[in-house]
Amino acid sequence: MSRSGKWVAFAIFAFAAVSVAMAGGKQEPAMQKPVSIQFAISPREVGKVIPDYISGFEKENPNIKVDWLQVPGVPDEQHTLYVTNMASQADKPDVLAVDVIWPGEFIANGWAAPINDSFSSSELSQYLPGMMNSVTVDGKAYGVPLYTNAIHLFYRKDLLDKYGLSVPKTWEELASTAKEIVQKENNPDLVGYISMWAQIEGLFMNYLQFFWGAGGHFFDNAGKASIDTPAGVKALKTMVGFVKDGLAPQSIITYKPNDAMALFRQGRAVFMVVQDFVWPMLNAADSPVNGKVGMTRVPYFAGHPDASTVCMGGWILIVNPYSTHKAEAARFIKYITSEKAGLEMAVQTGSMPARNGMDANAQLLQQYPIAKQLYADFAVGDVRPSAQAGARYPELSHEMQLEIHSALAGEKTPEQALADAQKNVTKILGK
Amino acid sequence: MVQRKLNDSTYGLLLVAPVFIIVVGILFLPTLYTIGLSLSNFSFLKGHTLRFVGFTNFVSIFSDSEFVSSLANTVVFTVVTVFLELSIGLVLALILNRSFAFMGLLRTTILFPWALPTALNAIIWRWLFNPDFGFFNTILIQLGLTSVKTNWLGEIPLSMYSMMTVAIWKTSSFMALILLTGLQTIPGDLYEAAEIDGAGWFSRLRKITLPLLVPSILLALLFRSMDAFRAFELPFALTEGGPAGSTQTLSLFGYRQFFQFLKFDTGSAVSVVQFVLILLLGTFYLRIFRTENE
Repeated sequence: MSRSGKWVAFAIFAFAAVSVAMAGGKQEPAMQKPVSIQFAISPREVGKVIPDYISGFEKENPNIKVDWLQVPGVPDEQHTLYVTNMASQADKPDVLAVDVIWPGEFIANGWAAPINDSFSSSELSQYLPGMMNSVTVDGKAYGVPLYTNAIHLFYRKDLLDKYGLSVPKTWEELASTAKEIVQKENNPDLVGYISMWAQIEGLFMNYLQFFWGAGGHFFDNAGKASIDTPAGVKALKTMVGFVKDGLAPQSIITYKPNDAMALFRQGRAVFMVVQDFVWPMLNAADSPVNGKVGMTRVPYFAGHPDASTVCMGGWILIVNPYSTHKAEAARFIKYITSEKAGLEMAVQTGSMPARNGMDANAQLLQQYPIAKQLYADFAVGDVRPSAQAGARYPELSHEMQLEIHSALAGEKTPEQALADAQKNVTKILGK
Repeated sequence: MVQRKLNDSTYGLLLVAPVFIIVVGILFLPTLYTIGLSLSNFSFLKGHTLRFVGFTNFVSIFSDSEFVSSLANTVVFTVVTVFLELSIGLVLALILNRSFAFMGLLRTTILFPWALPTALNAIIWRWLFNPDFGFFNTILIQLGLTSVKTNWLGEIPLSMYSMMTVAIWKTSSFMALILLTGLQTIPGDLYEAAEIDGAGWFSRLRKITLPLLVPSILLALLFRSMDAFRAFELPFALTEGGPAGSTQTLSLFGYRQFFQFLKFDTGSAVSVVQFVLILLLGTFYLRIFRTENE
């Protein structure tokens, strides 16, 4: 080593030694050693309110520091990140915000800690029961929902009024109402029904709404997939019939939510079934259907008025089972899912907290009059069967999309498609 | 410090070493690892023990009708698009090889589709193809050519033709660019001599241009076939493989296995199949290339 090299090395060593000494000297004797927890959530939807959550929580809990890990907004990338993290059994992040369809996989792989010790059953009952289905396996809860969104039925108020028709409650009523309006309007550009039936996750959600509305349950009491059932056939036949009878345009099988929204916004559809995020766009000042749109729950089939037909999405908070601060993590989750925090989130970001009774909150209703309807629909909401399907859910959903699409594209009869789906899904779950 | 003189070959090796390490590290080792995974039952799932399973994953993908149809889609897509791209590219290159006014502008314009990212292209074309308010149907119906709203991306097998159109539109210009470089290396005096001998335009094309262009054609074919065989962004952003899986390519199928289903064992098997097929294709082209050059 040269002369100057030695000096450099000495300087570095000296600096390091002094820094360590200074850092040591800063430590004050405290009653309780402050702990630090890490919270993983993407800034995409509710990022605006996260800094307030953290500062508010830290003020109430001076011994807990919260560090925000900003994960990518693209769900697939986020999923890959979490899975890599969990597979390596890392103890951070302590709290993870996950998509509503992931907990099943996380629970099956032991990547989510049960929370029944930290949350009393009355505390758990404050969250939307439909959303809790996504985190409940064998009676145990593994997380709580942070915010939610759902698929609703949007309708043209003005057209229903024009012909003295009421908002349909059943699919049968919807079909006849749409048919009558399209016929009387006699406009070749007007379709009765539009939705997002491209080969995407939204297609499976749409199918489930028909299926639930016909009294179907994706898993029977013994935990077996029950797809090739009378309810399944009724659901798929109705969907195929919508396209065949011209109630929905042929193009529906290439439509994603934004395509459907564009058509409906141009005033070219009587009914639309998509997620609630389109509401502000439909009612924007420059929207041709501004003020002419109503929103309600997704219909059921005649004879099944008690069916939950509103398919919900949203984000769930889970605790990392390898975390060394599970109690603090649960405390943080309770804080940010409280009514007060939920209101703050709704006010700042427009995302609706997944709690019961929010529709009684005057401040929320004042800013979002539509919240009354949103929560009425959440009350008849359910989630995709991901909790029971566990790690195999994405494959199950893909298989269902393929078979549903085969029937819609006329490649298979609905019966054949469901029989194949039954066979393949059973095989997927058996692995 | 003792000064030691490096001999030339050691010096050369040292210079190459960093690149060599990078190539081995990011290409060779992952390839071997993937081949290893494809022969195992690797999984993230709880309570799992890693085992060597031989060709089980390959047997299972080849008995999966979705894989087989994805493979068939990929082969059809590659053969058709590469053939048409080559034909169109050749015509474009011959046009671009002449000198006339606004040449530079024309060359830039032709390269434009290729310069756009595939995913962006796919999104633009999704709107053009939209049956209810898209460009094509609006024009066709306004011109009175048809009254039917064609479902470009929603019918089998029309959706595949639509997807091929986007690929051809995008990459014909790339073909043209490679062929143009080839054209410009052909000495002009050959044409002059041929002209003096009384050869017409067509026989000059057949006797001079095409034979001398063969190396460039092979190069272009090699590049494009390998690319088309790996097509991913286009089906992903245009159709997500729909309707009913009719536009799903091998890469999209493999992507689902890896990143959506977390089935690293079958996903690796798909990659290995794809790797072997591309390797065969490449070897085939290079062999013709060599015989041509001899």
